[in-house]
Amino acid sequence: MKIACCIKRVPDSETRVKIAADGKSLDEAGVKFVMNPYDEFAVEEALRRKEKAGTGEVVVICLGPAAGQETIRTALAMGADRGVLLQTEKTPADSFETARLIAAELKSGTWDLILFGRMAIDDYNHQVGVIVAELLGLPCVSAVSHLDIEGLKGIAEREIEGGIEVVEFPLPAVLTVDKGLNEPRYPALKGIMAAKKKPLEVKAVRPGAGTIEIAALTPPPERKEGKIVGEGAGAVAELVRLLREEAKVL
Amino acid sequence: MDSFVPAQYQPRLPLDQLIIEAGSDGAGDTMELDVVIVGAGPAGLSCAIELAKLARADGSELNVGVLEKAEALGEHSLSGAVVNPRAMRELFPDLQDSDFPFRRPVDKEAVYLLTRSGKLRLPTPPTMHNRRYYIASLCEIVRWLGAKAEALGVTIFTGFPAAQLLVRGPAVAGVRTAAAGLDRDGKPTPGASAPNDLTAKVTALAGGTRGLLAQAWCERQHVPSENPQIFALGVKELWETKQPLDRVIHTLGWPLPRDAFGGSFIYPLEPNLVALGLVVGLDYRDANLDVHGLLQRFKQHPLLRSLLAGGEMVEWGAKTIPEGGFYALPERRSGEGIVILGDAAGFVDVPSLKGIHYAMQSGIYAARAIYQHLNTGAALAEYDRLVNASYVVSDLYRTRNMRLAFRDGFYLGGFQAALMTLTGGRFPGGKYRMHADAEVPRRSSPNSAGATTPGISKVDAVFKSGNATRDTVPSHLIAGSDVPLEVARFYAHMCPAGVYEATESGLRINAPNCVDCKATDVLGPRWTPREGGSGPRYKRM
Repeated sequence: MKIACCIKRVPDSETRVKIAADGKSLDEAGVKFVMNPYDEFAVEEALRRKEKAGTGEVVVICLGPAAGQETIRTALAMGADRGVLLQTEKTPADSFETARLIAAELKSGTWDLILFGRMAIDDYNHQVGVIVAELLGLPCVSAVSHLDIEGLKGIAEREIEGGIEVVEFPLPAVLTVDKGLNEPRYPALKGIMAAKKKPLEVKAVRPGAGTIEIAALTPPPERKEGKIVGEGAGAVAELVRLLREEAKVL
Repeated sequence: MDSFVPAQYQPRLPLDQLIIEAGSDGAGDTMELDVVIVGAGPAGLSCAIELAKLARADGSELNVGVLEKAEALGEHSLSGAVVNPRAMRELFPDLQDSDFPFRRPVDKEAVYLLTRSGKLRLPTPPTMHNRRYYIASLCEIVRWLGAKAEALGVTIFTGFPAAQLLVRGPAVAGVRTAAAGLDRDGKPTPGASAPNDLTAKVTALAGGTRGLLAQAWCERQHVPSENPQIFALGVKELWETKQPLDRVIHTLGWPLPRDAFGGSFIYPLEPNLVALGLVVGLDYRDANLDVHGLLQRFKQHPLLRSLLAGGEMVEWGAKTIPEGGFYALPERRSGEGIVILGDAAGFVDVPSLKGIHYAMQSGIYAARAIYQHLNTGAALAEYDRLVNASYVVSDLYRTRNMRLAFRDGFYLGGFQAALMTLTGGRFPGGKYRMHADAEVPRRSSPNSAGATTPGISKVDAVFKSGNATRDTVPSHLIAGSDVPLEVARFYAHMCPAGVYEATESGLRINAPNCVDCKATDVLGPRWTPREGGSGPRYKRM
């Protein structure tokens, strides 16, 4: 099985987000970057598929700054075979430009599966995987939370509002994966050691201007301070009154 | 109970668990390296970098691995810090000071003696002159050193704590890492991973302050020191301030009681990004003393109030500091297959509040001795010889009794320390005898001042340390079985992270809160490593 995993380097979800002076980007001072958590599910799934097939290759592709090499090394330490960094100064705001560059890279190989995380936790766009599928003319299933593959046929489950949708698709295909699909492994000592010697190709790419521009980033409004109404049964009446009249939730 | 001695309730180090024969059952993967270094701090990484450079200069290849318990580089590193660049310059002779990961040079400094609402500016003691040194974040230094080491071919295993020392008879043969993915009862969960054995020709212990394996090895080998090692606890906060600060400030006096040794530091990393903290010797007498609580009170002083008004605390952390100096150094820091570096060996000079450059320098010397050992079989005692002949030990010798004089209280201690400075360390001759911190009797008093402490609660503090340890990890703290209520209260006050709670039914331990400061290991329940990636996630501490 030959599988491509497309991953993104994103700020850690524990990061205290601060907007930079330009008002349009994150202040990266003191920010820790990690592999997008949804992409970890993609890498883990790729490794399991390859292990099950007993043969194949898992290739990790990342678009982003030079430091993306660290993110790729993490995937290599988990067990991926080789990595490609499509190096840019920064990730384009327009998902279409990102998708175009990744699709161009993918066209140079043949794949049984191309996996993405369902979305990146920094921009929540949900778009790149789907656009890549379109550009490559491949079937696409998004937000996959369970996967079975038999021969050239795949069956995927998607969690939808109030139920589960079951989708059949032919291989090769592009899947974007959701949490619940698997439990990603931690890199083992030997994996970390081996990752140093695995091939990691860096290709400079230049995204087009695109049609989308980030105009402004604003933090969510500060949550108002809570208040303690009172203690014990005596406070219940007042609490109910406030919920009804002030908060208007009852 | 009017007073008690903490040592009476402290379990012994479980030496038989900490030191095991190489090849013992229970390991998952095993790996053989030339050198394994425990701890990716300034000492361990300097050692790795110097080793890799020596090998490169010879055109040979050396397999060097560094184990680090934090999830990512620098996340368990905490210091003030004002750094003497001397060791950095020695390690990177081709670089300029401006290339180093320092924030800014110190150009103004002030020392104050505080009272509750006033301050008296003191002349800066000669040992505390910081001109031409640099304000820095140790997290940032460590990340920078780590990148340099990796570029030289060193492998850094973050998220892998060393839990046991592997030996073959008297010789150290490597380390075993901690297991990961165990449930509360210590049983493996589906994603669990077994410990790994890393064997090596030389093991360098650079586990930092109160390093567990270094303690165990010194005890097993009966390596003496003239005095027992003593410690201080530092609690630190990082603030984004509205008011700019242009100088390094140290304070003495309030809010510390007179029978406690310590003081504060206030360092601007940037004009509006200020590191501040309070450091208190763990030989304090009042069992209710609470360093975190004192730091919160300290921030109420007018000097701090005006600085912090409208600002925001962005990070919090805590760490102990080995303060024993010259007389607390283990007689040797090397043995068969082993060297001990940095804070784990006690290379800290309290009067100048410096340790980072000594840690780095000890790493550099260790690397040279190790390299020679690997090539010629020369004994690792060369490392001790190099350190003993260097400024590391001569600096510590010059101030050998200064911290120790303060065992007699603040004013008498200050007077004696001044005489020591004037006489270049010759006054008063001889040496001050010290007790281990846990042997110092504590005065218990019914008043529990902690309840009304202003400022940031310990729970919020732990959150600001970035600690997101899994709630279901097995407890890594070994407490005595019958801890009286007074002693439980003492633990609760002592621990800055709210790990201990004294309840009528006994001592309650919230182990996931632990930020690995090691104060508990000095005065109370023993600390052991948890699964990799547990504990704080410091960013700019």
